Amino acid sequence: MSLITALANVHSIGQFGDHEGKNDNNLLKISEIKNLLIVQIAQYKNSTVSFENINIDGLRLKDKPLNVSNNNDTRILWNGPKNWLLVSTKNDLLKNISQNFKETDFAVTDLSHSRAIIQIEGQDSKEVLKKGCPFDFNNLEKNNSINSIYNGIAITVDMLEDNSNKVRLFALRSFGESLYHSITDASLEFGYKSI
Amino acid sequence: MLHIKCPHCGMRSQNEFSYGGDATVKRPELGKEISDQDWDNFVYNRKSLRGKHLELWQHLSGCRQWIKVERDTATHEIFRTLKANEDNS
Repeated sequence: MSLITALANVHSIGQFGDHEGKNDNNLLKISEIKNLLIVQIAQYKNSTVSFENINIDGLRLKDKPLNVSNNNDTRILWNGPKNWLLVSTKNDLLKNISQNFKETDFAVTDLSHSRAIIQIEGQDSKEVLKKGCPFDFNNLEKNNSINSIYNGIAITVDMLEDNSNKVRLFALRSFGESLYHSITDASLEFGYKSI
Repeated sequence: MLHIKCPHCGMRSQNEFSYGGDATVKRPELGKEISDQDWDNFVYNRKSLRGKHLELWQHLSGCRQWIKVERDTATHEIFRTLKANEDNS
């Protein structure tokens, strides 16, 4: 079965905006990230079991704002108190997660196909985010994540690298195209390469 | 633009929050006989105070938690924020 990605109809390869005469390395790079496992893990309010010792792909849940526990394949983003978003390239991890979390204490929801993911990389990526989001991105460091809004669209921002300012934006799939247009429109003044 | 310190996430823009009304209103006890006037007061009647006011806000585009905010309704100065289950005394 072939899957249609959230941005398949809008994401086109090429160079756009103010890119002429600029070094390729200085251009923003915008891409759609596909085929990731996305799982929301939420502990019920009346549950008192400890989650600190639960191991998922060698990572542990931390109830700490902005925190992202991560390894090469998997990232666990703090989404709110006792609420996390797990993002992984290992698609078979879901079975392991379901076994680790008791149904009576945790809600585990597979959101893999309900999110659009846009990745922006480049020195101006934070400037693009600042144009539509009220968060102070100067304080967002590597392996931090936040929930916020971009031009009125609810987004999750995950900072993967701070040297190259590589960030991933997650939005509801139905808002994906709208967010893509917002992001690419904001990127025109810097020039961007769509990959 | 107001900035509200979410007790869970930290300082965030007001754009991420939605207003939830007076935080001092208490729901009448379940099963207790109450008058129409008391029910009216709980559901509809609110004071429009000038000055310090304890309000409910929801961090809708952030951690999605309800919080309490002590705000001056005239100057918009925010004095403190609390988790929804924290005592405001």
